[in-house]
Amino acid sequence: MKGYMGEILRVDLTSGRVTTIPTSHYEAWVGGHGMGSAIFFDLVKDKTIDGFDPANVVTIMTSPLCGTLVPAGAGRTEVQGIGVQSYPIGWFTRSNFGGRFSTMLKQAGWDGIVIEGRAERPVWIDIRNRTVQIRDCRPLALWGTDTRTCQERIWSYVAGKGAFGDWLRPEGDEGGQTTQRPAVLTIGPAGENLSRMACLIHDAANSSGQGGFGAVWGSKNLKAISVIGTGSINVHDPKGLMEARLRQTKMYAFDLDNRKGKPLSTVFDAAPRPVTLWGIPPGSRRPPEGQRPQACVGCHAGCRGRYASGIGNEAHCAGTAFYSEASSLDIQRRSSDLLNRYGVNAFEAWRGLEYLRALNKAGILGPGKKIDFPLTFENFGSYEFVEQFIRMIAYRNDGHGEKSQAGDDLGEGFVRAAKKWGRLEGKEGDLKTGLLNFPYWGMPNHYDPRTEIEWGYGTILGDRDINEHCFNTIFWDVLLSRFIGGKPRATAEETVRIYTDKMIPFQGDRLMMDYGTENMYSEHIAKLVAWHRHYTRFWKQSALLCDFRWPDFVNPYAPDKVGSTGESEPAFFNAVTGRHVTFLDGMELGRRIWNLDQAIWTLQGRHRDTVHFADYIYQVPYGGPSFMPGRVNGQWDYVNISGRSIDKGKFEEFKSRFYHLEGWDPDTGYPSRGTLRSLNLGTVADELEKNGKLGKG
Amino acid sequence: MEKLAEPDREVVSRVLQEVGFAERIVGYQVRERSGPMAKSLYSFEEVCDFLHDQFPVLAFEELTRWLRVVMRDEELALKVAEAVEHGHTDYERTRRIRELMGERLMQCKKARGSMA
Repeated sequence: MKGYMGEILRVDLTSGRVTTIPTSHYEAWVGGHGMGSAIFFDLVKDKTIDGFDPANVVTIMTSPLCGTLVPAGAGRTEVQGIGVQSYPIGWFTRSNFGGRFSTMLKQAGWDGIVIEGRAERPVWIDIRNRTVQIRDCRPLALWGTDTRTCQERIWSYVAGKGAFGDWLRPEGDEGGQTTQRPAVLTIGPAGENLSRMACLIHDAANSSGQGGFGAVWGSKNLKAISVIGTGSINVHDPKGLMEARLRQTKMYAFDLDNRKGKPLSTVFDAAPRPVTLWGIPPGSRRPPEGQRPQACVGCHAGCRGRYASGIGNEAHCAGTAFYSEASSLDIQRRSSDLLNRYGVNAFEAWRGLEYLRALNKAGILGPGKKIDFPLTFENFGSYEFVEQFIRMIAYRNDGHGEKSQAGDDLGEGFVRAAKKWGRLEGKEGDLKTGLLNFPYWGMPNHYDPRTEIEWGYGTILGDRDINEHCFNTIFWDVLLSRFIGGKPRATAEETVRIYTDKMIPFQGDRLMMDYGTENMYSEHIAKLVAWHRHYTRFWKQSALLCDFRWPDFVNPYAPDKVGSTGESEPAFFNAVTGRHVTFLDGMELGRRIWNLDQAIWTLQGRHRDTVHFADYIYQVPYGGPSFMPGRVNGQWDYVNISGRSIDKGKFEEFKSRFYHLEGWDPDTGYPSRGTLRSLNLGTVADELEKNGKLGKG
Repeated sequence: MEKLAEPDREVVSRVLQEVGFAERIVGYQVRERSGPMAKSLYSFEEVCDFLHDQFPVLAFEELTRWLRVVMRDEELALKVAEAVEHGHTDYERTRRIRELMGERLMQCKKARGSMA
């Protein structure tokens, strides 16, 4: 049990009871997502409940690697439960976030937290090592605060007003001491008002964004969890772990004095720099400002920044792409802060705003229009505009404190709002034309299913925009190279070879990486999607390696550009835990977890007939850029795969191939007893059978 | 660099106005990690701004058509087509188009000033 703290905290908000679960009960699931799914399966008897039902259980899990020195593998926290964001069903789903929460939780002595029930009035949970208290929000007036104010009030309450770096004894003289401040995970007004786009926020901008868990917490009257710990984590082989880290960073990480390859941001060899996507409006310049990179615990290459002004601190990726039409860089950065302070999902707000603007331009939406909407688009680009927009989502009103049906509709998320507005009906419905660019489960388009197929297929076969960049790096490398005229990190042939050689247990099947139209529904692509689902379910979401840095496929610093994936993951895992897990073992664990998830979705009501994209994905060709590996006259090249749509009939055939590969019933998509039994999931098969949902085979 | 001829009143008017929903042009804002974002652009100036982004992707043929049909700017459409043909990379092409459109925008703003 090295790497574990030994117990999982269980908090029943309805009764106010705090109990524990021995981690050993779930050790077979390792941590993170695996443990979360297994606990959810055991505790939630009726899987068909809505995400807002008090019986919904939210798990917040760490992994054995959290809080250790595993590079880009020590700082994530996995959140699961029935979500409220996806459409038409709020699937059992996941999200995760970085920072220092999981480390602090382990240092307090816990491997995870299980939240059940609903408190009578707004509460927060105060964890100081082994002392856990459910506290009323009223003395600190937390309910109604934004995420920053809430965290500041809790810091002051728990740690006093001493300077950062002062020694703190969270349990008086009885316990240990720390220079840290509590790690707080909180909701903002969006969560309190049950906006389906509501996030959980930790520190300035670590966000558990997808799933609407902020709203789930809001429905439970849970404002925040604060944790401070003074313990340490027992690692099996500290020397071996340190040596593995040094070797890894020396051989495979960015080297400022010896730069190699095109700088990309989601690779192991990424430079430690903020991944911000703020643009610079024409005529303005980026103001000189002191800044430094900021990283999650243990990371060798942080991807966030902190700034002298404090504006936009730690915001990154989509949180900084939002509102790129702002009239100044300052407004863009402050927009990112608004999202985080109100606790609003950046991606849906970003893509959704584009939709609202289109409806406005079409004369359909606006003050006094058919969709009576309080936002005045003449102010588009201003701070006042974006503040009102975010407040509409967060407070479900007009953004100025007055009741508004449109604001309430927005709180339901864009697809539900569009449906209510009648925009999904008829042959020209917005999900048929693609005007509403939300292709899968009511989620906004991230990477398009028509081209980046492992992303799109993985999403529709799962529960959410997968947001897993394992293969997506190729897209960026090639696209940027073509734009500026340089060469990608590797030729298409090298890329295909390096990737597929590492894709155990399907290694060597080169056609897994053929993104060409002729191959996009094949059994090879089924293997690609299956490998991706299994890899991420274990290594990324259970062991909790960071999506931005793992896997390490093509690496310009490595001999022959062959990255460390396959060797490094188990090496780190075993150094921490003392186990003898192989890479293949991890893949099999990932398959087991993926099967459990599929069983939960099946119990929720999933059938193969419900697994389909929005209509426009089948009807409208993709117009954006995309180059991925494919074969031209038998030779590998990066081929232009833009301009295509998905053939609905062939995609149905693909689903059958995929279900067959997974050992599920192709007629229904239900997992079969034979497959579940082979994964030691016989009780899961029993549960499916009891509900009439066990697949044949 | 060859200058564009002064625009006529119709071009000035169209360049400085927003277009309707049906006349919009769609580009893809490509910023590493966030995915290609399909963006509807509703004015000449908005297209200019868009071309200043990090990796703006506009279908060049569609752009020349838009300039010709929606902006009624035959000369600029021709110059853009030449820039596309002579550019070695999309970066070069985009930069040249940005210059051309920026020049036209300035001409139109100046012309509007003198008309006022």
